[in-house]
Amino acid sequence: MAKSLGSEAKAGLKLISPTAIYVILLLAVPLATVLIYSVLTGGRGNVSLPITIENYAELWTKAQYGYIMLKSLLVALTVTFITVMLAYPVAYFVSFHVKPERKSLWLFLITIPFWTSYIIRVSLWFVILGYGGIVDSALASIGLPPLNVASYSLLSIVIVLAHAYAPFAVLPIFVSLEKVDRSLLEAGQDLGESRWITFLRVTLPLSMPGVIAAALIVFIPTVGDYVTPELVGDGKEPMIANVIEIQLLKLQNFPQGSAFAVASMLMVGIVSVLFVLWNKRYIGGQK
Amino acid sequence: MKKAPILKGYTLFYLLFLYGPILLLPIFAFNDSKVVAFPLKGLTLNWFAEMAADQNLRTAAKNSLIIAFSVSSISTILGIFAARASVRYNFPGKAPIMGMIMLPLVLPEMIVAMALLVVLLSLGIQLSLFTVIVGQVLICTPFAVAILTSAFQSLDRSLEEASLDLGETAVSTFRLIVLPLVMPGIMASFLICFTISFDEFIIANFLGSGKPILSVYIFGQFRFPAKVPSMLALGTVLVLFSIILLGFAEYMRRRGIAKAGGKDSGGLL
Amino acid sequence: MTTTDDRPTMIEFKDVHKYYGDYHALRGINGTIKAGEFFSLLGPSGCGKTTLLRTIAGFEDISSGVIMIDGKDMASVAANTRPTNMVFQSYAIFPHMSVEENVGFGLRKDPRSKDEKAAAVAEALGMVGLKGFGKRAAHALSGGQRQRVALARALILKPKVLLLDEPLSALDKKMREHMQVELIKLQRQVGITFILVTHDQEEALVMSDRIAVMFDGEIAQLADPETLYRRPATKKVADFIGTMNFIPATILSEAGDKVEIEAKGLGRVALDIAQAPTPAGEDPVVGLRPETLTLLYDDQKAPERETEGVIDEVIYFGDMTYYDVYLGGTDVEVRLSMRNVPGRPVLDVGTKVRVAWSPSALVLFR
Repeated sequence: MAKSLGSEAKAGLKLISPTAIYVILLLAVPLATVLIYSVLTGGRGNVSLPITIENYAELWTKAQYGYIMLKSLLVALTVTFITVMLAYPVAYFVSFHVKPERKSLWLFLITIPFWTSYIIRVSLWFVILGYGGIVDSALASIGLPPLNVASYSLLSIVIVLAHAYAPFAVLPIFVSLEKVDRSLLEAGQDLGESRWITFLRVTLPLSMPGVIAAALIVFIPTVGDYVTPELVGDGKEPMIANVIEIQLLKLQNFPQGSAFAVASMLMVGIVSVLFVLWNKRYIGGQK
Repeated sequence: MKKAPILKGYTLFYLLFLYGPILLLPIFAFNDSKVVAFPLKGLTLNWFAEMAADQNLRTAAKNSLIIAFSVSSISTILGIFAARASVRYNFPGKAPIMGMIMLPLVLPEMIVAMALLVVLLSLGIQLSLFTVIVGQVLICTPFAVAILTSAFQSLDRSLEEASLDLGETAVSTFRLIVLPLVMPGIMASFLICFTISFDEFIIANFLGSGKPILSVYIFGQFRFPAKVPSMLALGTVLVLFSIILLGFAEYMRRRGIAKAGGKDSGGLL
Repeated sequence: MTTTDDRPTMIEFKDVHKYYGDYHALRGINGTIKAGEFFSLLGPSGCGKTTLLRTIAGFEDISSGVIMIDGKDMASVAANTRPTNMVFQSYAIFPHMSVEENVGFGLRKDPRSKDEKAAAVAEALGMVGLKGFGKRAAHALSGGQRQRVALARALILKPKVLLLDEPLSALDKKMREHMQVELIKLQRQVGITFILVTHDQEEALVMSDRIAVMFDGEIAQLADPETLYRRPATKKVADFIGTMNFIPATILSEAGDKVEIEAKGLGRVALDIAQAPTPAGEDPVVGLRPETLTLLYDDQKAPERETEGVIDEVIYFGDMTYYDVYLGGTDVEVRLSMRNVPGRPVLDVGTKVRVAWSPSALVLFR
């Protein structure tokens, strides 16, 4: 009714302003800057007009950019798939086979690794998988030759990432499973369905929103991960984040680096949206 | 509860896999060998001593503590403003603003760090501990907002109205009623942000320009095999530290709910 | 029945409107509430009664009109300085404080000494029957105890008006009936104006000196319980308060202060104009309360008028029996109530009966 802001709206805006201003200045503006830089020209540490799409054109023509984006995408998708598949039974167990008062304890235990230093965990894997490291010495002590898993960079990267993001996957699936109306399952069994069929036809579809959320929660940070490819892959298999570092920090090529960053984010965004749309039929019912 | 031995076994195995590397930490931290490999050689405290004596490490640790303390304070305060505004008021632009604040949760950290870095470099601003703090606040605030939103939501609005009705002002109501009841959430937010900041690497590395910060220091040290055992000792200490902080945060969260007479909805979700 | 007309006015509503955006929540509220009376705002969910209460308390602003409390316009007066105190529907007991800290909360800025304040708290607790509960933690109380703490906390400040927002709805039946009596006693003891919001018409009838019945943001009728019950102003009020039978009627003639009607199943009857409160409308109906109809046993003579009927349904309640009876050979069915006393056996379905009724008990809604 009233055109001007009511007193509630004013109070709300006033209250959120410190946080809003902070975020706008330090997140929105920089992101916009990167977007703008991506269409400018320039070289070492400077940008200038004219506006150009050459930076994006470069990404098309130079094969290595596409290769790295594709590689990062595949690594991330593999990690996501593995992580979600492995996490689902765990989430199911805690939701359906743990006493209610114990549930948060199990969840707490599952989440603790997430809160311990990421660097420590990744570095540890580096030590475990490396030549003469823990895996190799364990093998040696039972008479097997060393594997030196770390030399298989991509494999190592996938293992480490799957381990690092595992807790992320369990929680959303768990939340979704908790919301499944138990009486639906009983109805299914009452009508003579086996437990497995009930799972396939009732539980699984109803838990899809959680699975989708878990997939996104793992996919997005994984695709942009820096530390694991750098440390475990020993820089031999750079992913998107490593290239961005090289472009922006080492070469100080702001326009090019920005374009790459924007392109990567677009790719991630498109893949995510496609994934969600492909599973749209599962999202309608439960929130 | 129905028994499901296979699922339970699987879950336990899964947990073992999750904790595996972390459990290896204390094993090799106490192992009397420069090489981190089997077979185990015997107990020693050398690595812990070496760790404690390392001057660079101490400087880095001190800096990390300063940063973490600052970041958790600022993020929690910003979180209080945002959470309170979001729960209590409706105002135009609320969804986009909240979306913006929570955005770092779905953006790879690298992007946030680089975007900020580009602007800082363009403006010619010196990189330092301060720029690290500024960047990490962006990452931690969404967590603070999430925790505090939950805390403010469980606060019955009629409690504040009752306080006003009995003669208090909005400010004194906040002090006497809102703050005490939200305090467990504030503490949880502080602890979580502290943990995140202390372990954070990307922003510390790229916006710190070489200043000694613990996570960056660790990252560097792991390349030198000789340094690895003492880093494992450090890792052991850090993991213990995180678990204690987390346990405390969870305890605070549960106590807060009990105090306000509410029900546990389960975890920092 | 206490007449409240001679008491001074405590609250006055002058054409009060309230909008939430486009939603017209209060549509022109007018009325007065007298000092020292037990007043109820009664109506179904969404009628605006809680909104109105909150505008008195100051938690909601009004879009237009005037609210006066004790002769002062409340337009610029904030909630925390109004001479009112409220008992919230959820009781709003501060969970992190003890009972005495809760009750003494409003005394924080009071200039009295600590001992005097402690004595006041003890007195307030005694008044609500919670003597000795001072040190208890707030979250360890039952629903009924919380409500009494809320009462004590409000009354200790000696407000001019006590506002109660559905205070009994969260209690079980026994507790509710007990508290109804307690509240009446308390109000008489303290002597201040009580304004109660409820959707339970029985509750309102039992406790109030006067009631404002509200529908859709308007006051349909403001009167004492007996008037509301026997002379409801509109069909909606009649239907909301107690049980009311509605019989179709045709208006035959109107002259001076008499209206002659034909009521289906009862016959012709002349009513006083006072029994026809509503202005001319469409389908006239006549309202009749169950207890004004009586079954005549054996050769009993009808005190005034009588008609025939056939019993369709018998509902036995122990002390009462309700009969659904088809009147006068028509399809008009009314419910009547009979006390089960010796000499009046419960009759069977299908029995032909004689029903006695009184013209003065009818209300005509046009």
